[in-house]
Amino acid sequence: MNIRPPPRRVAVALAVAALALIGSTSHAEDKVIRVGVLMPISGPASYFGVQGKQGIELALEQVNAGAGPAGYKLQVQYEDSACSPLQATNTVKRVLEQFKPHIIIGEECSDASLAIAPILEQAKVPLLNAGSSAVKLTESGYKYVFRIFPTADQQGTLLGRNAYEKLGARTAVLLYEKTNAGVDNADTFEKVFTAAGGKVLARIDFGRDVNDFTPIATRIAGLGKVDVLPTFGLEGQTVRLAQALAQARVVRGGGGTAIQMGSIWLPWGFEQKAGPSSEGYIRVVQFDPTERRKMVTDFNAAFRAKFGAAETPTHINAHAYDSVLLVAEAVRRGATDSESLRDRFSKMQGVEVTTGRISFDAKGQTSDLSVIHFVETQKDLSWKGMAW
Amino acid sequence: MNDLATLLVQQSINGVYLGCLYVMVALGLTLIYGVMNQINFAHADFVTVGAFTAFFVATRFATKVLGLGDAAAYLVSIFVALGAGAVLGLLVNALVFAPLRERGDELRPLIATIGISVLLENGQLALFGPIPFQFDSPFAKETIRFGRIFFTGQSVLVVVVSMLAIGALYAFMKFTFTGKALRAVSQDRETAGLMGINPDFLIGLTIVIASAMAGMAGALIGPVLVLTPFAGATVIVKAFAIVIIGGFGNIEGTILAGILVGIIEAFTVQYLGSGLIDLVVFVLLLVMLVVRPTGLIAERREENV
Amino acid sequence: MITRTDRAPLIPPSRWVGYLLAFALIVAAPLVLGTPYWRGILVVCAMNVLLALSLNLVLGYTGQLNLGQSAFFAIGAYVSVILVRSHGWNFWLAMVAASAAAGMAGLLLAAFAVRLRGHYLGIASLGFAVITYQVLVNWEGVTEGVRGIYGIMPPPPIKLPGLPEISFGNSLALFWLVGGIAFAVYWMLDNLVRSPVGETLRALREDEVSAASLGINAARWKAFAFGLASTIAGLAGCFYPGFVGTLVPDAFNIVESFTMLAMVIVGGMGSMIGPVIGAVVLTFLPELLRSAGELRLMIYGIALTLVVLFMPGGILQLVQIVRARLSRRAGAGASR
Repeated sequence: MNIRPPPRRVAVALAVAALALIGSTSHAEDKVIRVGVLMPISGPASYFGVQGKQGIELALEQVNAGAGPAGYKLQVQYEDSACSPLQATNTVKRVLEQFKPHIIIGEECSDASLAIAPILEQAKVPLLNAGSSAVKLTESGYKYVFRIFPTADQQGTLLGRNAYEKLGARTAVLLYEKTNAGVDNADTFEKVFTAAGGKVLARIDFGRDVNDFTPIATRIAGLGKVDVLPTFGLEGQTVRLAQALAQARVVRGGGGTAIQMGSIWLPWGFEQKAGPSSEGYIRVVQFDPTERRKMVTDFNAAFRAKFGAAETPTHINAHAYDSVLLVAEAVRRGATDSESLRDRFSKMQGVEVTTGRISFDAKGQTSDLSVIHFVETQKDLSWKGMAW
Repeated sequence: MNDLATLLVQQSINGVYLGCLYVMVALGLTLIYGVMNQINFAHADFVTVGAFTAFFVATRFATKVLGLGDAAAYLVSIFVALGAGAVLGLLVNALVFAPLRERGDELRPLIATIGISVLLENGQLALFGPIPFQFDSPFAKETIRFGRIFFTGQSVLVVVVSMLAIGALYAFMKFTFTGKALRAVSQDRETAGLMGINPDFLIGLTIVIASAMAGMAGALIGPVLVLTPFAGATVIVKAFAIVIIGGFGNIEGTILAGILVGIIEAFTVQYLGSGLIDLVVFVLLLVMLVVRPTGLIAERREENV
Repeated sequence: MITRTDRAPLIPPSRWVGYLLAFALIVAAPLVLGTPYWRGILVVCAMNVLLALSLNLVLGYTGQLNLGQSAFFAIGAYVSVILVRSHGWNFWLAMVAASAAAGMAGLLLAAFAVRLRGHYLGIASLGFAVITYQVLVNWEGVTEGVRGIYGIMPPPPIKLPGLPEISFGNSLALFWLVGGIAFAVYWMLDNLVRSPVGETLRALREDEVSAASLGINAARWKAFAFGLASTIAGLAGCFYPGFVGTLVPDAFNIVESFTMLAMVIVGGMGSMIGPVIGAVVLTFLPELLRSAGELRLMIYGIALTLVVLFMPGGILQLVQIVRARLSRRAGAGASR
């Protein structure tokens, strides 16, 4: 039995399909802003990619609702750049030629972001970065790089100064993961803290494969009186670290005296995971889901509606969400292509997003740190804002 | 006790605890190697599967469905994880090791298990996502203190369970016919075959036992790990080092080497920095290979031949 | 054991055809796959071919399990970059020195290979790779550690009198360069394994004791194989930094060694063309699977396992089976 349709019909069908395809793309071309998203979607770093994707999906739904910004629709293509310079270089070339994006959002990991920046600079496609804290990214003279995340310098300086001035700390032990961002943050803290007159008793770094932190906690317990423990690690390891430090009675949560301080890296929900050990933990917060700003409450509500009532967005969700909002804002301000997107970004001052107000300086770094604030974890694991 | 003595004792305790966890992970590897000269690269991922199984049993099933208390639920979860490991072992033997064994090849199973490892990691990623699960043992909440020395109930539990498991393994090997046959196979496969021992069954059994131990190790190490689908991979390289330092296939050697590596890790953190753990362990490994290639405890197998 | 030593000394015409075909393929590939992305993948592919060839020399021909080939790749990459950046060397000179440095490190590993066999050597070489990685991470004064080295330039342009300048800033020229080198290395190794040296190495692989009785100095020849293989891996490493522009220790994680191992096994160990096929397939497969999104690596894992399970001789075996069928059919057709 021959179930194949006559050849002519196939040819006609194919031709129609092809025409439809051409028609749709050429039609889509006029009123679309294409956004390439580079994120780690595989491997351990997919921790970032999964949360980033949630934020982007939610933002897309909102900005594309109705007519879209200035009549444009934002269109997204994801690429798995796996947090690796090689993968990021390959995928950025891939997305550039297959999707022809007007702008790229990504990468989370500093190594990968630093690797793609020169390629995008050459291609004259702006890079909007929301998660890499390595200082070099906006200090290398790139004209197409914009970052809405405080650099290691900005975070470390705040932490170091506040530790010395507000907490009255004089001795510190630095705890940081051995990555580009971890080292950068620890270095800045040390510079600021020692310049103010403080003393760093030890620098303890750890790879991302360290599991048991009891030996590290024991070592710190043997160092004598330590006032602050600036900690630069990801959620998983920092939870274990806080628990070990509490067991060794180093930090307040375990009946000790030292105060653990942390960077923006920790997500909402960290305290619940770390439990009583996290009592007294002081950290920098950029995205604060408890903030009463309308922008934030709306975002929380939309996030819960989309991903479940029990969910609270993390800073990673928020950064990705904000990135899309900023692209939409640039489009609303008349951007239609890469060049005009870059132009509108460079002129943005005080644009409100969930993580604060974005004002890009001449280097493309957001300079408005007005909403960045410090919170202290209370006994009931809630936050208390510090009036710093 | 003065400060230094306290520190030394405390780090030794930390090291032994960590070492016991490493022993539990490494024992399965060494068992498989001893009996069939194979390396199972997916072993670490069996540990991860064990950890996830234990996590869901301890925090969801046993507490919410069976209505057990936290402590009892965790203990139950250790056995369920052991079972999950055994099932994985059964599967990997049937699908990979048994078909490849007929061809008498040492390299291909290695690559096949790398494939299994990639599959397991990414399968779990699809299931559980990359955000770490917070797996806290109820026993870790109890901190036992003698002056400034401290350890948790969890460390006591880990040491006790490890000793029980090792004891059970020994009793099985020494006193049961199957166990004796297993040792016979590991020493000389052909002769064992001639004696009417079915090597295929025994090799399969070994893989199941080894994988069950990996699953159990997952339940024990889970509350230490940052529990993601990639958690096991953080210990596997060290487990390989332990197996070699102990002498491939040598159970006593592996136990000794595991505890030694745990202690080395604790003291490296104390005196050199945690970034140097792998460096110290692997330099030791290379030195061992030059000085005593048969491992910490000389292999009796070669004397017998 | 039967070894394939009964080769005709003269190069048969079919090999010339093969070489010409390969050469044509190298010339044509970047013209067909003419976009920066695909050309970039081709460059990666050429590096992987070099790595697979080098590992195959040790593993396939000499029978030494090496799970640490990424170490030599790393040494080539780092030494070449450090010589150029910190000591102002000319890239081409640095390339020679870096390859030599990787070769020397290979000799170091060979010292272990003389004493150890099978999986012991495997784990020793794995340890060697772990130590190399840790040195890259911790020796910050020289390697910049985890902070990495950025803004690395591609190999400098070549100016030949009377010809336009060849710039390696684009991946077309870079691919022709690395692909050409891979071709040359293949040629060299192909002749090597057919020579008495190749027979010696294979004799070592099959049975070291009887090789010794034939007067073969195992230690010396293992050193030779490890030294040469590591030099080639180091050479491949010299092109990595200039291509990516960024150098971080994580690029030489031990997982990379397993990928190289998989290339050799999947392609077909112990033959010349097998590892090349493996390198090409395992470079392109993950890229082609990108549209599968999150399932990509699961498919990759399954494919890897299935190939090993059902094609013990690797993809090469499949090719040979198909060819045998075709020629049988052709033969049958002719006799009809």
